[in-house]
Amino acid sequence: MSPPPPASIRIRDLSKRYGPVPAVTGVSFAVAPGEIFGLLGLNGAGKTTIIECLLGLRAPDAGSLSVAGIDVGRQPREALRLIGAQLQFASLQAKITPREALGLFASFHVEAAPPDELLARFALADKANAPFDSLSGGQRQRLFLALAFVNHPQVLVLDEPTAGLDPQSRRELHRLITGLKTAGRAVLLSTHYLEEAHHLCDRIGVLHDGRLVAIGTPAELVARSRALPRLSFRTSQPLEAGMIASLPGVVSHEPKGAGWLVGTREINRCIRGLVQKLDDLGGEMLDLQIHQPSLEDVFLELTGRAWSDANREGNHGP
Amino acid sequence: MALNPSLAGCVRHLQLSLRLNFRNPQALVYGYLVPLFFLLAFGSVFRADTPPLLNQMGQLLTITLLGGACFGLPTALVAERELGVWRRYRLLPVPTGALVAGTLLARLVLVGTAVLLQIGLARLLYGTPLPLHPGQTAIALLCVALPFLGLGLLIAALADDVPAVQALGQCLFLPMIMIGGVGVPLTILPLWAQRVAGFMPGRYAVDVLQRAYLRPEGLRGAGFSILALVVIGAAAGIAGTRLFRWDGGRRITRSALGWLGIALLSWVAIGLAAAATGRLQPSLPPAAAYESVTDEQAGQITYDDLPGDSELVTRLAPPFDPAQETPFVSEFAAKLKTWPPGLVANPVLRVRNLLSVAAIADISADLHEAEIGRIVFDALQGSHKHAELRRMLAWIILHPDEGLFITQAPELGLPKHPPEPLVRERSLLYAKKYLGRLLGKIHD
Repeated sequence: MSPPPPASIRIRDLSKRYGPVPAVTGVSFAVAPGEIFGLLGLNGAGKTTIIECLLGLRAPDAGSLSVAGIDVGRQPREALRLIGAQLQFASLQAKITPREALGLFASFHVEAAPPDELLARFALADKANAPFDSLSGGQRQRLFLALAFVNHPQVLVLDEPTAGLDPQSRRELHRLITGLKTAGRAVLLSTHYLEEAHHLCDRIGVLHDGRLVAIGTPAELVARSRALPRLSFRTSQPLEAGMIASLPGVVSHEPKGAGWLVGTREINRCIRGLVQKLDDLGGEMLDLQIHQPSLEDVFLELTGRAWSDANREGNHGP
Repeated sequence: MALNPSLAGCVRHLQLSLRLNFRNPQALVYGYLVPLFFLLAFGSVFRADTPPLLNQMGQLLTITLLGGACFGLPTALVAERELGVWRRYRLLPVPTGALVAGTLLARLVLVGTAVLLQIGLARLLYGTPLPLHPGQTAIALLCVALPFLGLGLLIAALADDVPAVQALGQCLFLPMIMIGGVGVPLTILPLWAQRVAGFMPGRYAVDVLQRAYLRPEGLRGAGFSILALVVIGAAAGIAGTRLFRWDGGRRITRSALGWLGIALLSWVAIGLAAAATGRLQPSLPPAAAYESVTDEQAGQITYDDLPGDSELVTRLAPPFDPAQETPFVSEFAAKLKTWPPGLVANPVLRVRNLLSVAAIADISADLHEAEIGRIVFDALQGSHKHAELRRMLAWIILHPDEGLFITQAPELGLPKHPPEPLVRERSLLYAKKYLGRLLGKIHD
């Protein structure tokens, strides 16, 4: 049996403190060629610190990081030649044009994508000669992504790449990232969009307070979850709480709008019992939805915080 | 042959930095309009000098270089760092120094073009002569600009934001302008300020530029000033590079104070070295410097090397008999009385200008060269007290490299334009002939 291909990204026991505050503690993971790996966590969980250490922007206090077998600490420039990166906090000069920026960044690499090709690929052709300060937020984000693709990277590192993008641009970026995967490139991305992580990433690492608390495919993470499937429904006749609690397999129940949200271990029996009760009362089912456990449930279980609430509080620190 | 990608990238970065500078109205105002303003300000004060503005060119060019270094470079660097531009550059596979060097080089081109503009406009607007030694002036500009850019790099490293650049820049700029011999000439500063100026690079910058621009000996003798600039610039540049921050979010640490200390120590070391080697002696203005000449110093001047009055060089007619005065003599004397360079307020400059007339006539082998030599002597005696004239002539002889001699006087019917060093040499000979007569050591 042939040995597995070397990891495109390998991080071992990474730790980093900012003064007395630990930002990342003992984080280890690897990203294989052709794999999309997502770092999922709230603001301050350590996602950006990991990415900055990988890019050589910050020196780790402990641990090792390598890209395609090249030690980032020892050979930072060699590693950077293989990486395409998009940072969450970065900008360009106010009067530089997208064409000039792409030309400048391309000139540092032996084999670089022609600026015009990238302008077309990232829908910036009509803004090729517009000054950076006249671009919209989405156009700027697309330009930074284009800059990350300039050197045909073996490894793509993206920090919140779709933040501020409209849905169409987001879909386009997803298509580009998936294209990299099929070309055998590795992608490490941080995101605060759960659906993006779920649908785009082959594996996800969940960060909480600087520690990697779970790692696996989205399906594995969900499967490991103790969260229950839930039913949400609305009926023509009001149902009492006692009646809901007596349905087969019900573990939890709470009012939701004009209906109920019910957690159950036995979906089929629960639905059958509900329909039976309605028939007995002469009522009708107006709406019924089944919710399987999701990454949001996984996140809540792992961190004790609801994803949507925590992101609403969101500050944008590293 | 294709360039190495890192080098090609740095060249591209340099080109782009220059291009972006010309798209930034604020950078154009600070880079070119402010130097123009300083030129006009200096011109309005010194346009009546002979030649106009020449003695201030060292100061003027130093101000331009200092402004570009203290404000232009760090403002651009810090503004880009605050935006996050340098954070993005950090991901390029090139050494830190290469991009910083490209930025310094771009700034060097910008201040260089501003300096050329000033020299050209000074020539155009006021008739200021072009540099006497263009090659040495270019070297002097580099000797001043590079150390000043080192200071700019240090300011950029220390300042957290653009307002902090302005504050730090002013801390360097204003003292050098006011008491550092850059804005206000050393010769009119109080003695304590002249000593303090010895600890600042501005004084040495003015000296180096002034020597290269207008002194006949050029940069010869400017060794200490160049050394001072190199030491101060290198210390600042090394500290600035060590403290360079890619990311605006990172604050200066306490260890930075050590590097700052090293940079400041170089100023102190240069000042002490200047004091220890007697370079901080008081500089007196030319108008008053002659007063410091003692009788003993004047008495030590020898006259053995003077050519005879009837020989080929520095001919001098015997005193005129008023009864036999020729029309040429009375006509030339009348013209000389109203000749503007012979009426300037600075007495030493006035005497030097009149000596130049005798020298130009002599070098031009004018038909009346001997008579002109005598008319100039009479004019000098007629318009100055003898005691003062003796001291001024002695001062000029004892400081043969000081000041500048006029090289043409077409208003007086002397159309030729001999080289300045020759005019200086002959003027000094005439000065000796006149002084010897005033002291009774030479007889007509």
